[in-house]
Amino acid sequence: MRKRLWVLMLVPTFALIFFVNLYPLVRGGVISFQRLTVFNLNNPRFVGWSNYRAIITDPGFPRLLWNTFVWIACSVAFQFLFGLILALLLAKPFPGRGLYMGLVFYPWALSGFAIGLLWSWLLNGQFGIVNDILMRLGLIKVPIGFLSDERFAMFSVILVNVWYGIPFFAIMLLAAIQSIPSELYEAAQIDGAGVFRKLFYVTLPYIRPTIYSTILLRIIWVMNFPDIIYGMTRGGPAGATNILSVHMINIVYYRNNFGLASALGMIMTAILMVFAIIYLVLLERGEFEL
Amino acid sequence: MKKLAIVLLALLFCVVGLSEQVTLRMIQVFTSPLRTKVLEDIISKFEAQNPGVKIELISPPYETAYQKIYLMVSAEEPLDIVEVGDWSLSALASMGKLLSLEPYLAKSELTKYLVPGVLEAARTYKGTAYLLPNAIYVKTLFYRPDVISKYGITPPARTMDELLEHCRQLTKPEIGQFGFDFRGKGYPTAFIDIVMTSFFDDIDPNCMYLKKDGKLIFEDPRALEGLKFYIELFKTAPKDSINWGFDEQVNAFASGVTPYLFQDPDTVGLLNEIMKEGTYKTAPLPIGRGGKAYPTIGFAGWGITSYSKHKDLAWRFLEFFNSPEINAYWCKDYGALPVDMRVYEIDPYFKSETFYGWTAMFEDEAHYQFTKYPLDNEAWSEWNELHETTMQQVLLGKMKPEEALKIWADFWKKAGLGKK
Repeated sequence: MRKRLWVLMLVPTFALIFFVNLYPLVRGGVISFQRLTVFNLNNPRFVGWSNYRAIITDPGFPRLLWNTFVWIACSVAFQFLFGLILALLLAKPFPGRGLYMGLVFYPWALSGFAIGLLWSWLLNGQFGIVNDILMRLGLIKVPIGFLSDERFAMFSVILVNVWYGIPFFAIMLLAAIQSIPSELYEAAQIDGAGVFRKLFYVTLPYIRPTIYSTILLRIIWVMNFPDIIYGMTRGGPAGATNILSVHMINIVYYRNNFGLASALGMIMTAILMVFAIIYLVLLERGEFEL
Repeated sequence: MKKLAIVLLALLFCVVGLSEQVTLRMIQVFTSPLRTKVLEDIISKFEAQNPGVKIELISPPYETAYQKIYLMVSAEEPLDIVEVGDWSLSALASMGKLLSLEPYLAKSELTKYLVPGVLEAARTYKGTAYLLPNAIYVKTLFYRPDVISKYGITPPARTMDELLEHCRQLTKPEIGQFGFDFRGKGYPTAFIDIVMTSFFDDIDPNCMYLKKDGKLIFEDPRALEGLKFYIELFKTAPKDSINWGFDEQVNAFASGVTPYLFQDPDTVGLLNEIMKEGTYKTAPLPIGRGGKAYPTIGFAGWGITSYSKHKDLAWRFLEFFNSPEINAYWCKDYGALPVDMRVYEIDPYFKSETFYGWTAMFEDEAHYQFTKYPLDNEAWSEWNELHETTMQQVLLGKMKPEEALKIWADFWKKAGLGKK
């Protein structure tokens, strides 16, 4: 009886995993081998690997991969760096800290797509307030095409993503920093450690598990996060900010080709599996344990 | 026993009451706060005239509306009236979930009052009307007389060469003044095509990308001339406009930064909201070196699902929507051109100066030949993405115009066009 109850109690969890994770994954996998467009939505046909071939042999695919790499690497690196600085600054109490934290963390509460649209107007080359401020300060003479100039477009979307993602790192790292026992700092103080030594020999090693897990999670999220780019540039100009997830939306939005989009989704899943494996290996090694 | 009788009586009332209430579910695509308000108002009027009928309006965000419709319709989710735009008509009709409206049209009084060409346009897919258009969209030239007159320009450009000349004259980046209100993203196809085809004089009236001899326009030297002209026109626009869609275009025009704009009549509704009367006017599209301009008639309307349980009632709503009074109200507030000829007679608004650009084009058949996009071709939706990206590459100097034209020609050949 007790054994049966144990099995019954697991059913909701398995049902949830099945319907939320497994079924969409398997269905996506099946669709990726089909020619499924809006023209034959009720009559898909099996096309083997041709959707995958179409994506990989697309002349723009290497650039898509490179853009995705740059987007992830720069976004996560700067989000982590500034998030850590923010967490360290907020770790010690000071007057008005609560209000300040609220203001600093509010971007995290907004929708990514709305942020993209908001910043597309702020950075508009013609009417944007950012250009206006820079011109009034005498820093530039002609407006910068933040989103229309290929040299600035990727930089601009990454900048906004960094602004958006800093609070997440800050919250996670701040929680970890606040859990460090004060005795460790006191011992370091007695040993004559300065600010940087305390940071590198106490703080960072102690919060290392949080750093690893947060970075890995963010890599996955940032790769799957087209909202900001879609709101700001839709991947343009001329593909300068096109990353895999944005490309997938464009395939659905413009071409209504669900088979092709699913194949791209499966390729993205395969890439993300690498990070998932790294995560599991680190977990196995106990790197996430204090 | 008495109690039981009361309960049964109450249940009977409930059943009768519920059975009298019929709910139609309709979904719109081009959702905006202004448009939804007008639509809800029209629905209320219909409900008032038809007691017991309720229309439930679904208004998804524009970006995801079609995907929502495709999924709902393919799964035969409860839906009676579906908004369909010209560019997605074939896709939706090919799913076999839209009802042929031909039997209704054959019996309807409305049919004989439809503006010429509207019904033909609605029969894009296999020669059958799967929607009843409720408004038509044709691009014309919007201009700001107050801005261009400061540069000694009156009247507005009548030819493409004049347009370029004016735009060059107007372009003073140092003071934030430019000429042409460019569109770089979000379906810029219709804009580039107006310019490029104006270099021809032999476009097929049934397909914008074919010449009358059946060959693709992209392999003709005039296409190269037109594309190079388009690049020159881009130089008179803010560089940022390569990343502009509809909102940015309207904003630039309303602020006077770019006083020349090609746009559809639904821009009128928006401009009337944000601009003072008389600060903008319309003129016919400039004629190109081919001596002509080739606008297309765009349209959107309502279709009925083939699995609807209330097809006749849904048609009654479509007829109501297209009745002259309602169609006038819809088009005036939303800003599109009415599909019923009677509206132009009963409402002087559509003969006002605001609509001069369109009326002049409709009356000048020698210079304005209406043509069609290959909307029934499966490659159409894919084309828009390719066209946008390659066009941007050309404008940024990353691709030669010749190379882009070859890509475009190859694309359409593969899709079965221009094989003659």
